[in-house]
This record gives sequence, structure tokens and C-alpha cells, in this order.
Amino acid sequence: MNEIIYNIVVWMDGFEWSTSLHESYYMYNWIESTHVLTLMVSLGMLFMIDLRMLGAAFPNVPATTLAHRLNLPMWIGFSAMIITGVLLVYAIPVRTSQSLWFRFKMVLLVCAAVNAYLLHKRMSESGASWENDAKAPKKIRISAALSLGFWTLIVISGRFIAYDWFDCEYGQSAVISFVAGCVDGQTQW
Amino acid sequence: MPTSILGPYTRTITAVVLVVFTVVFFYTVRVSVRASIEPLFDWMTASWFGIIGTTWGAAFAIVEALHLIGLALIGGTVIASDGRLLGLVLADQEPGVVVQKTYRIFNWALILTLSTGVFMACGVAGKIYFLKVFWYKMLALSAGMLFEYGIRRPLLEKDLEDITPWVIKLTATASIMVWFTVGALGRWIGYSG
Repeated sequence: MNEIIYNIVVWMDGFEWSTSLHESYYMYNWIESTHVLTLMVSLGMLFMIDLRMLGAAFPNVPATTLAHRLNLPMWIGFSAMIITGVLLVYAIPVRTSQSLWFRFKMVLLVCAAVNAYLLHKRMSESGASWENDAKAPKKIRISAALSLGFWTLIVISGRFIAYDWFDCEYGQSAVISFVAGCVDGQTQW
Repeated sequence: MPTSILGPYTRTITAVVLVVFTVVFFYTVRVSVRASIEPLFDWMTASWFGIIGTTWGAAFAIVEALHLIGLALIGGTVIASDGRLLGLVLADQEPGVVVQKTYRIFNWALILTLSTGVFMACGVAGKIYFLKVFWYKMLALSAGMLFEYGIRRPLLEKDLEDITPWVIKLTATASIMVWFTVGALGRWIGYSG
């Protein structure tokens, strides 16, 4: 599996646009800045919704109304974040795909997505009886707390990608090499 | 009947004067002032925060991430409240209620961002002292805080129906712009030096 991923990212790395993007000081940095700044939109909105469910924000604004109204800006932010994130991977495909933290971040993103689906499912199943309560029902509060936890870890692991502690280039232990996806005899980093 | 010399706009005018003064000060006497505060940056480098930040990369990275969480919370409160004032989000909710409810989260987010920012600054004090973009960020941050606590909040404490709509929209737009500028300049510190 790691070899397949390695071959795909080496193929991506061969594109001239990938190299140009990586080597462009302003373009790369603007894309990365946009990726970070969209946190203020997407994560900001998500935190407001989660904090409302936990009873820590907007206690007198109906919970599902708040969630529905903030969904649009949140998804606009997430869309920009996904586009810039894909471009960042495309600019440095080999190193990023073999980053332990990038892989951890991807797993956490899947967990956060499943949790978000469950949160919305529980919200629609629970009806509107609690809508004006300061706190949401227990199951929804658990999902909101998990969402805050997952996204905090996603931001931390995203930040860690910039550090080279576990890069394949430096020779890692067998376990780290496997998890990071290092390939024996690889020639590109 | 207001007793202040500048009438009901005393705080607003004072805050505007302070913002203008900060900008003028920054562009005129910054060189001599910057030289005089260099020992502060040396002290920051030698402090516990500075030592931890420079020797333990993981601690620095975690604090960086918490700094981003604080920034995200600021972004969330700004978009929710200023977005409401502009009529873009939560349009069916009372604007005064939405704005008031974001104050406490904004305060905590600012405390988180400032405290993690101080730690990070200690870890790279020797570098940021020489970076123009760092000083631009400090200027934007000062302007943002003066604007928030000196202009925006006092203004929005009044009955919103008594305020001209374009003043509200201008305030909301300025608020969004200043905090996103702070975020962008902060990110650009990482690319400089």
C-alpha cells in the first residue's frame, strides 16, 4: 500500500506545476496563508455551533437555528480550506504523503467527518423540544465535545507537518517507517 | 445630558486619536524606540518561555496550534457578530443579542491568543525583533484591540435602532478586516526572516 501511494505521489511530483507551485515564494505562501486563515471562518463557525450545543455560547439563540444559519459560512470556509489543502499537498506531494502527522491528520479528519454526520443525525432525530434549552441533550453534547477535541488535534497535527522529526529522509525505526509510509530504496523525498 | 467635553462620542474619539497616534508614532519615531526596547527582546530570549520555546520544538508547535485555535475562535465570534450586523448570517436573530453573546468568547479567545503569542514571541524574540512584518502585526493588533474595546463595543452598547445603518455596517466591515489582517500578518511572520 505504501509503495502504491509513493508511486502516485512521485508521479504527481513530476508535474511542472507542482514544482512551480513549491518554488513560488508568494504563491505558495499565499495558499498556505489562505489555508490557515480559512480556519477563522470554518473552524470559527464550527466552534460557535459546538459551544452552543455545550451551553457555552448563545444560550438564548435556538440551537438548531444557529447550526443551520452558520452552516453556509462554515462550508464556504471548509471548501476554501480543502482546495488550498489539496494545492499544498500537490506542491510537496512526496514529503507530505510520508509525513506521520499528515497521515494522523487525515485519520482525524475522517473521525471528525463521521462525528459531524452523527451530530447532525442526532439533532434531526431529537426533534425541536430542546431547541431553546441552554444545553443540548447529552448525546449531542458528547458529539460537540468530540468535535472540539478532534479539531484541536487536527490543528495541532497540521502544525506538526512543518516539523521534520519523523521524515523518512532521516532514517526512522521500523514502526515509524511503516506508519509514515517510507519505502525501501526510495529516491525522492 | 453628557458632562464630557466631547459629548457622547468621547470614547470613540479618544480611541480614534489613539489609533492615529499609534500609526503616526510607528512611522515616525519607530527606529529610536525600537533600539531602546532591544534589551526587552534579549530578556524575552533568556526567559523560561524563551528557553522552552527554543529548546523544545514540540512545546513551541503545540503552543502555535493553540494560538491558531484562539485565532479561529476570534474569527468565529467576528463572523457571527459582524456578519449579523451586515445581515449576512443569523439574519432572523436580534442583532443586539448575537453581538452581546459573542463578547465573552471573544475576550477568552483574545486572552488565549495573546498568552500563546507572548510564549511564541519569547521563543523567537531574536528573530522577530528585526522583522518589519512582526511590527506591522503588533500595530494591527493594537489597532484591533483599541477598535474593539474603544469604538465597537461602546457604539454597539447603544440601541442599534438609534445608530445610522451605514455606521453599523462600516463598523462591522472594519472589525472583520482588522482581525483578518492580524491573522494574515501573523502567518506571514513565519515566512519572513
